[in-house]
Amino acid sequence: MKAKIFFFILVLFITSVLPVYPQSETDTSSMRPGKKTILVQAVMCEGVQNYSPVNPAVVFSIDSGSGKISCFTAFDPVAKKMFILHNWFHQGRIVTRKKLSLKPPKWSTFSSIQLREMDKGPWSIEISDPRGKIFKTLRFSITD
Amino acid sequence: MPYDLILFLNSIRWQDIVDIALNSYILFRLYVLFRGTNVFRVLAGITLLWILQRIAAAIGLIVTSYAFQGIIAFAALIVIIVFKNEIRTVLQTKNIKTILWGLHYKTIKTPIEILVGSIYELSRLNSGALLVFPAADDLEEFTQRGISWHGQISKEMILSIFWHDNPVHDGAAVIKGDRITDVGVILPLSKRNDLPSYYGTRHRAAAGLAEQTDALVVVVSEERGEVVIAKGNRIIDIHDNLELEQALKDHVGESAEPVSSRKKENFRLGLAALLSFFFVSGIWFSFARGLETLITLEIPVEYMNRSPKMQILETSVNDVSLNLSGSGTIIKSIRPEQINVRLDLSKAVVGSNTFTITPENITLPPGVLLKKVTPSVINVTLDVTMEKKLPIQADWIGKLPEGLILQSAVLTPAKIKIVGARNVLNKISTIYTEKIQLDNIKKSGEMTVKPALSPASLKVGPGSPDKITLTYVVKNRPPAGIPK
Repeated sequence: MKAKIFFFILVLFITSVLPVYPQSETDTSSMRPGKKTILVQAVMCEGVQNYSPVNPAVVFSIDSGSGKISCFTAFDPVAKKMFILHNWFHQGRIVTRKKLSLKPPKWSTFSSIQLREMDKGPWSIEISDPRGKIFKTLRFSITD
Repeated sequence: MPYDLILFLNSIRWQDIVDIALNSYILFRLYVLFRGTNVFRVLAGITLLWILQRIAAAIGLIVTSYAFQGIIAFAALIVIIVFKNEIRTVLQTKNIKTILWGLHYKTIKTPIEILVGSIYELSRLNSGALLVFPAADDLEEFTQRGISWHGQISKEMILSIFWHDNPVHDGAAVIKGDRITDVGVILPLSKRNDLPSYYGTRHRAAAGLAEQTDALVVVVSEERGEVVIAKGNRIIDIHDNLELEQALKDHVGESAEPVSSRKKENFRLGLAALLSFFFVSGIWFSFARGLETLITLEIPVEYMNRSPKMQILETSVNDVSLNLSGSGTIIKSIRPEQINVRLDLSKAVVGSNTFTITPENITLPPGVLLKKVTPSVINVTLDVTMEKKLPIQADWIGKLPEGLILQSAVLTPAKIKIVGARNVLNKISTIYTEKIQLDNIKKSGEMTVKPALSPASLKVGPGSPDKITLTYVVKNRPPAGIPK
């Protein structure tokens, strides 16, 4: 009986957690629960509020909003305590590299930059693990 | 052969040869048509003035040069006004063939024997007569035109003209070739004081015309029956028919042996043709070479015969500066597209190549000489061509209208194949689109954009579209505040 109750709770947990994170990206690894860390959300946004991205977009004005932009990423599951990298590129040249921690079982994290006049132009962010495996590349622009 | 001479000969265009030949011929024709006339003498004077003007200009005598220019312009005008009759006569009396290429005038022999016989018959009859034999000068401005006749010369005709009861017997008869062209012509009277007192009006008229023109005038005295000829300032008494015959032959040009006369004429024409050629060549040289002008032009270098497997990665220069010289007219007419600087890359290798620009690499219009090329050495770096599939990213500019957020933008295809130099492509990780304006975007939509390939040597690879579809989603900005 105890075994049946435990199995029921396990199934309930799995089915309740999965729909929370929309799978918007396609180049993550095939999911093998408990084995790999999977990126389930990665967006550029004007800020993060209550662990959620605010005003996700692909174009940001230097004189609107909070004056900064953020790269929000959510992982589920997280296989083990680890860290990931947010590599920020401006016009193909690396500008900054943010090291962010992940903790099991799932984790959301973000990195931000302050917008300046000189930052206008096309940007990209590579979200990668420490070994250089790229989870996803986000592309956006900073404009007037 | 000196190098300068070779350069000079190479620089002569076919147009220059035509130019010199045509103008030499025109000058030669002018000589043929106007030789022996006053127009020719005045034209020769104007030419001399022009040479002096060029010399004055060459040595920097500014005022003298301008003064000569003024005189030449004025003289040219005067020639046309003063000698209009003479010019008209030359042009009217010749057909187009004679004007363009005829060398010898059609000679109509004057029947001198008939004339001599007639004159001595008039003398025997004590019938006064005045016969005018024009040469090159036009007599119209010196005489009062009588009655146009144009009758064939015959003894009877001459006797009848000067018959006492003929109304025109007091005037002069003008004889051209084998015809009596005018009768009853009034000649200008001489004002000389040294003429014998027994000379009457007829003699003074003969002397008057001879003084002012190159015509020969024969007078038969009515009272004494004497025959006198007037030519220039001379009045010569003629004692017999042989003397008169010789004088008339000398005047109409029949005295010399025909063969030697033709030889002399040919020699004279040949000399005139040669002088015309040298004169026009001198003028051409003065214009085309004397006024040497320098110019510096920036000309783009064209790289030719590159292997299709290689691409130009870098060149030390894209343009070279050419110092060119030539006549002012030619230099002014140069168009940049007439000049090419081409480098042959057929032997170039991957990596850095050094080329020296030689005159063989430069195409110039005829008549233009190359003085200097800067720089004369060009470095060209070549690389192997490769193909790479690269992600493409929208390059937005401007500003979205207030209250809108561009939430997503998807490019289709997301990656395109790019062909370019290996070194260049290895440094590129993303291809951007051309600039896309945000200001006009008000709602979600779709548009077509082109990739902006930089450097220009990059090309879209085969199989990849050169136009990308951009689908974008615009949403209204929520009213909630943004966390700081």
